[in-house]
Amino acid sequence: MKIEQQIPRNALFWILLAQFFLLLPHIARLPGWVFVVYLIAAFWRIMVYRGQWSFPPRWLKLILILAGFFGIQASFGSMLGLEPTVALLLVAFALKLIELCERKDAYLVIFLGFFVCLTEFLFSQELLIAAYNLVCVIVLLTALIALHQPGEQKLQFAPLRRASLFVIQAFPLMVVLFVIFPRLPPLWSVPLKSNAAKTGVTDFMSPGDIAQLSRSDEVAFRAEFVGDIPRQSELYWRGLVFSRFAGKTWKPVGWQDTPALERRPQAPAGEMGEGLEYTVIMEPTQQRWLYSLRYAWEHSRNVTKTGDFRLVSPITVQDQYRYSATSYPGAALETDLSDWRRELELELPVVGNQRARTFAVERRNQATSDLAYANDILDFFNEQGFSYTLTPALLGDNTVDDFLFNTREGFCEHYASSFVFLMRSAGVPARVVAGYLGGELNPVNRTVIVRQFDAHAWAEIWLEGRGWTRVDPTSAVSPDRIEWGLERALAGEGSFLADSPLSPIHFRNIDWLNKIRLRYDAITYAWQLAVLSYDSDEQFHVLEEFLGEITPQRVMLFILAAGILSLLPMIGVLLWQSRSHLPKEVRIYNKYCHKLAQLGTHRFPQESPGDFAERAILVHPQLESEIRQVTKLFETIAYSGQPGRVSLAELRHSVRRFGVLRT
Amino acid sequence: MFSATLKRVRERQKARFSAWMNRRIPAAREVTLDQKRIFIFPSRTGLFFLLVLLLMLVASINYQNNMGFALTFLLGTVFVIGVLHTYANLSGLTLRAVRAAPVFAGQLSEFELLVSRPHRRQHYSLNFRWCDETATINLDHGKEAEVKLYLLAPQRGWYNPGRLSLQSYYPLGLIRTWTWIDLDIHALVYPRPVQGPVPAGDPSDFPDGDTIPVIGSDDFYGLKDYQQGDSLKHVYWKSVAKGQPLQSKQYNAYADRSVWLDWDSYQGLPIETRLSHLCYWVLHFDAEGEEYGMRLPGFSADPGSGEEHRDLLLRQLALFGVEPESGTVSGDSPVEREAA
Repeated sequence: MKIEQQIPRNALFWILLAQFFLLLPHIARLPGWVFVVYLIAAFWRIMVYRGQWSFPPRWLKLILILAGFFGIQASFGSMLGLEPTVALLLVAFALKLIELCERKDAYLVIFLGFFVCLTEFLFSQELLIAAYNLVCVIVLLTALIALHQPGEQKLQFAPLRRASLFVIQAFPLMVVLFVIFPRLPPLWSVPLKSNAAKTGVTDFMSPGDIAQLSRSDEVAFRAEFVGDIPRQSELYWRGLVFSRFAGKTWKPVGWQDTPALERRPQAPAGEMGEGLEYTVIMEPTQQRWLYSLRYAWEHSRNVTKTGDFRLVSPITVQDQYRYSATSYPGAALETDLSDWRRELELELPVVGNQRARTFAVERRNQATSDLAYANDILDFFNEQGFSYTLTPALLGDNTVDDFLFNTREGFCEHYASSFVFLMRSAGVPARVVAGYLGGELNPVNRTVIVRQFDAHAWAEIWLEGRGWTRVDPTSAVSPDRIEWGLERALAGEGSFLADSPLSPIHFRNIDWLNKIRLRYDAITYAWQLAVLSYDSDEQFHVLEEFLGEITPQRVMLFILAAGILSLLPMIGVLLWQSRSHLPKEVRIYNKYCHKLAQLGTHRFPQESPGDFAERAILVHPQLESEIRQVTKLFETIAYSGQPGRVSLAELRHSVRRFGVLRT
Repeated sequence: MFSATLKRVRERQKARFSAWMNRRIPAAREVTLDQKRIFIFPSRTGLFFLLVLLLMLVASINYQNNMGFALTFLLGTVFVIGVLHTYANLSGLTLRAVRAAPVFAGQLSEFELLVSRPHRRQHYSLNFRWCDETATINLDHGKEAEVKLYLLAPQRGWYNPGRLSLQSYYPLGLIRTWTWIDLDIHALVYPRPVQGPVPAGDPSDFPDGDTIPVIGSDDFYGLKDYQQGDSLKHVYWKSVAKGQPLQSKQYNAYADRSVWLDWDSYQGLPIETRLSHLCYWVLHFDAEGEEYGMRLPGFSADPGSGEEHRDLLLRQLALFGVEPESGTVSGDSPVEREAA
């Protein structure tokens, strides 16, 4: 094998390091054995390098590849989907190590490495992951460069410097390409993240579901308001409307089950009041519904409204999802209730919870109106020893009865569910709404950060003349939850985020730590806003801002100008690297030699300036004085050791004028 | 018929290419590489890399993944920038032909080049190829480096191995940059020595038994001041050690012991065979330390001995019948030979 085909030891080190870096973030979502395969392969390769083992025979490699296949089939139960594909890629990536002997194998490993980087982004595009992947790319490039420094057997950091230089130089043009490359729709459908857990509020609700969600401090979404931010107790983020009750579990009405006329929201009658304009960036949920404040008008093309005044996305939210909307909290919604809707929102299971039904009818008969009745129920919750807790007692078969008259402790979903049950039993149209309440205001960038523990469920009742009206039964039990959030509400119980004692949320009272946390969150938001949610709409706006009017000529000019501008810094670096070793006077003297060479007199290598001058004078007697002057000046500077500024300038001047006067 | 036409077309193309090359990169003892002389194109690995990038782009589009786009564009830009970096790895290098050692036909001649860098930039993985001989060097520490290539000299005369190719894939391997330079370097190739009958020269020019001091013979005769060209074997080193000027020992011999290597003594043999025989005997008598003279058509050398004498005669043999201008060897053009 020729030396240029060999893998220098230095390159081998960088390849091993790059692989380690690339596999590390995948550990969490891959079966552990994939990483073990890498460790074994790396160990084997190191033993080969040390000359103690040899490369595995072909049959063994074949067995290992087959074992990898079956291992993935066994671990995931299928070869389809994104995770098994990525796992397969990573197994191949690791196994390639044990047949890494020639340069072309190394190319394959490094190119696979770039692809592995990409797969990491399919799972997360967070700022930290992006920075981490940038490091991976630099290490991969380092390996690629080290591969072309034959004979380098010791660990060297020079290629690392060069790789970093490459990335720095590549950055401007990358940004330009990122901005102008057209964002096409998907060319074909691709395997989805089959195993990714659906997060956030689910599309059914049983007692305890939301309490479960409240144990997590993960971010659900961030919202940025154009104007003033409403009070926390006004931020009821509606996500789902549950209209169907099956004794224990609440479910929404499917789109298919909704009559065509009911699929669009009814325009509100009368004054809408002032609007709240905001933008939301949602974390991936693997669901389709979005979160909005009451009566939202969407501004984004990728969002549609539903008959129960919610916003949904046409596709499942797999990545960060951005949309903007304007909400009118004062609008009266659906003052004119259709028969289908009335029937739906009054429907109850035929049997069960008899005590609650009787109780409801009794109370309604005592009340003067539906509204008075609702208030009466809230008073009931407030006065009859109900408590708000994350860890309520388990309920029996008749969940509502059991809760209302027996355990009397529960989380928001218990209150919302029972309240709606009582309303419907008394003939008041009502439904459960699930979503989030409140959120943390980040003073750094004035965004509202809504986390999973802000998940909440409340009720909406339909009142004659006022339409759908929000009633939050939890407020009757725990006003703190509404005004201050979950942490304050559970202060006495100590159960807030009890499972994650290290969550930064716990350290909100340590000022400097809190500042760092909020600042980082602001950076994350800016990253999501500027980079991750950059789509064709955004692209259109950006280009319009730059070009005024988008015409093909302008776009071409823009691409050209941006490309040249972004390459300038790197050309500068190359020129800087090309600085000559030679002292200034020699460089100037060489120009003079060049001029003489053009006249036909070449200076021999090693010929002294004096000898050359004599020889040149013989050929060009008319230039004698000039030749003598340049030679004398050069010799003075070169041999005195200390070039003065004046004499250098003089030399430069006389060389520049040299031969000009010749006719 | 058809294949003959094809061959002619191909030959004409080759000739045109070599003429173009000769215009673009003329022969010179010393060449500094600049954009006129450097060629650059993606390597096969580079094309594969572009394919990988295309795949990554498609994946980014299908998953609507902005970071995927960013990664793809970053690597694409690295490729573009790689063109300049790869170019810079050859640009500015100066190649100088140092020397080509004289050899006998059929032997390997050592061609020595000097590569120097004018800049602070470091150069790696410079792959020199001349005929099928290759050498790879890094120019990262010193200002210059020596490159030695051993090339088979096929026939006597001046041997020019044609255009030297210098290529490099550094730093990324995705782009290949190369140049073909005609370094105007020629190795002197002596005939292949082949033993033949002793050429019987006619010694009648010299009277029998006269003692004529002839340098480089057997018996010590005296000392004389060293002259340039005297054999180092004959330098009287003892006196040098004492700090005295260089002196040569002189030996005398009888003229009748001198030999004439005569072209005419191999009447009827082909030219190359005659030259091979003469070459053999030059070496033989030189090794024996005897004196010998040589007569060729148009050339005659009086008997003598020593390295200089030997080299003079060998040179005559090497260049017998070869055009005196040292530039080109008769026959095909260098590039054609390389391509063939």
